[in-house]
Amino acid sequence: MTINVDSFPPVRIPEEAEALRPQVKAFIAQQLMHMPPHRRARTWAGFDADFSRALAAQGWVGLTMPKEYGGAGLDAFSRFVLVEELLAAGAPVAAHWIGDRQSAPLLLHYGTEAQREFFLPRICRGELFFCIGMSEPNSGSDLASVRTRAEKVDGGWKVNGQKIWTTYAHKSHYMIALVRTSGTSEDRQAGLSQFLIDLSLPGVTVNPIKLGTGDTDFNEVFFEDVILPEDALVGTEGNGWAQVNAELAFERSGPERIYSSLVLLDLWSRSLKDDHDAGDLERLGLLVSRLAPLRNMSIAMTGLLVQGKSPVTEAALFKDMGTEVEQAIPADIADALGARLDRTPDPELMRTLAYLMQLNHVFSLRGGTREILRGMIARGLGLR
Amino acid sequence: MSDDDNILTETFRRVLGDVVTSERIRAFEDSPALAPIWPELAETGFLDALVGEEYGGAGLSLAQVFPLVLALGEHATPVPFAETMLARAWLAPHGISLPDDAAVVLAPRSAILPFAEVATHALVADRDMIRVVEVTSGSNDVFRAGGALTLNPGRELGAFAGTPGDLLLAAAALTSGQMVGAMARMLDMTLNYAGERQQFGRSLGKFQAIQQQLAVMAEQVISAQVAARTALRSTHFEPIRVAAAKCRANEAARLVCNIAHAVHGAIGATAEFDLQLFSRRVKQGQVAFGSERYWAVELGRARVTADCQTTADFLRLHLMDEDV
Ligand SMILES: Cc1cc2nc3c(=O)[nH]c(=O)nc-3n(C[C@H](O)[C@H](O)[C@H](O)COP(=O)(O)OP(=O)(O)OC[C@H]3O[C@@H](n4cnc5c(N)ncnc54)[C@H](O)[C@@H]3O)c2cc1C
Repeated sequence: MTINVDSFPPVRIPEEAEALRPQVKAFIAQQLMHMPPHRRARTWAGFDADFSRALAAQGWVGLTMPKEYGGAGLDAFSRFVLVEELLAAGAPVAAHWIGDRQSAPLLLHYGTEAQREFFLPRICRGELFFCIGMSEPNSGSDLASVRTRAEKVDGGWKVNGQKIWTTYAHKSHYMIALVRTSGTSEDRQAGLSQFLIDLSLPGVTVNPIKLGTGDTDFNEVFFEDVILPEDALVGTEGNGWAQVNAELAFERSGPERIYSSLVLLDLWSRSLKDDHDAGDLERLGLLVSRLAPLRNMSIAMTGLLVQGKSPVTEAALFKDMGTEVEQAIPADIADALGARLDRTPDPELMRTLAYLMQLNHVFSLRGGTREILRGMIARGLGLR
Repeated sequence: MSDDDNILTETFRRVLGDVVTSERIRAFEDSPALAPIWPELAETGFLDALVGEEYGGAGLSLAQVFPLVLALGEHATPVPFAETMLARAWLAPHGISLPDDAAVVLAPRSAILPFAEVATHALVADRDMIRVVEVTSGSNDVFRAGGALTLNPGRELGAFAGTPGDLLLAAAALTSGQMVGAMARMLDMTLNYAGERQQFGRSLGKFQAIQQQLAVMAEQVISAQVAARTALRSTHFEPIRVAAAKCRANEAARLVCNIAHAVHGAIGATAEFDLQLFSRRVKQGQVAFGSERYWAVELGRARVTADCQTTADFLRLHLMDEDV
């Protein structure tokens, strides 16, 4: 298969899904009334357990999970509508984000019945928060080289090793970790498995890592003889690589790959209403022209997910382009504001800008770097 | 797209493959003339694809014709086929008849007019009327692609209500479609070439630096295609959709042309090699009917004045690429 425009077939968001939109807008307007833009700008990096629980009380966490597991039994289109509104408003969704986006679908697909019955309702109620345990100090892009190891022991597994850059591990209950269960780093993709790790277990140490912005979003996590029960294994032993890859279509295809700077864009756009020059309009228009096809591509991939497909290469292409726009928004706005020597800009606009200017360089790293994504696209073009 | 539409597109592609050959494009560029390409294409009946059934046409929608517009670009078609299709559809309800062999260009104010060198007629606009006039070209085919900088209007055949803005939107939309068609073809050619050409004992496509450039090229082509598809999926040319499509096509064209030629090396620039037939047309398109700056300002203004809380709302309400 060669990736091309037909890989993104146009679809209409069904009316049942669109029907959710006004309700979500009303809920957000009421919840976020007092939250200033520079806080909203954190959006899916903003952790607020109360907000996540309030959202769960509406039935909006784990929307795509079947009703028997506590979900809303809705499809990926409804989730698109929901998360688009949450992201556009800058709602602090980080607490439930990973569980909702990828852990729950992973467990639904690969988990045992007991795992589904235990975890899915708790995710949907906003009680259990998840984090992603993939990266290690010596395994970043080269994920297949992970060294954290789980050994079979009597009645379970013993884990030793270290994860790093684990977003909100210090505030999550569980990590889904990719670890080696057989062979060595040289065996690459073979011999990897996924585990549900309860972060409150003895032998788990979580050390927050401070960012240059002063925020503490991610962590290093150490495992020292951590004993996991038998049923901590997710899916099949040795099938970890395939399972992780199935997660990537969820992780890379969503609107969070184009909307990370949207709160800033809209704040600036509103400020242009009565005070702009042609250069400002040009910048704004160019950004909108780049966003428009990307949003349509994300919806097209949502359609593919609904059909049970896994658009991994498509998602790589979308994410690479999407994060480029997200990175350009703060840089362009900074250039526009900085050119107006005759004006003191609105302090809240500047706070929001400053936050995103200090963060936008990571947009292309989290979830897989440009070089890795472009390598995947090249494979999709038949070059590798 | 229905199966019927796919068959239609495939048929049209086959015809273009037979009629618009690279030898003929080169002959056209040496001495621009409608024959033999135009009469052979006209014979297919596709010129009346957009004309309403009540006027004897096929009554297809813009969305159905979109793949045909792309296909014209994919073949570097040097004649105003898409433009004439649209002109015939616009004129039919007003009872204005064109000669059977009329090759019509849309001629709003523009820095350059693609296809004008060989056009027999043009649609021109003043205030609130669009007029059909006979034309001779003002020459100056600066891209050697059959364009002209000006046209000399002759006899008027008729007029109907419409604005310069309407004419510009239609011209920009059809140009975007043909540009992205040409860019998709350039991507195919570049992928093939990267697979064949060997240096340092390997095909170029095996080098990571080349792979990364081709990935970027594919991103640019695909997103420009989606933007053009969005513009041509509605029942008429909507300003916001067309602005986004032309802006995206133009911006993509910069990277696409540079990467295609970079990967080809020197041979891509030669007259003998087909790549330049496409890149010259894409570049002519960049200058025609509003550049990215022109359309970006329009789009930015639309965003600022729109009654939309967020840009996500704006995209949803004005720039949705739905299956129609
Ligand atoms: C904000 C943030 C949040 C994150 N959250 C999480 C999380 O929750 N869980 C988690 O597991 N991880 C997380 N990560 C880690 C992220 O997945 C990694 O940063 C990413 O995969 C890259 O790994 P690395 O940082 O080790 O860089 P490296 O892999 O060392 O790469 C450094 C540079 O070299 C390039 N490079 C590497 N290999 C190649 C190659 N073969 N060819 C060409 N270039 C190459 C890369 O593209 C990059 O530009 C997060 C990262 C950030 C920035």
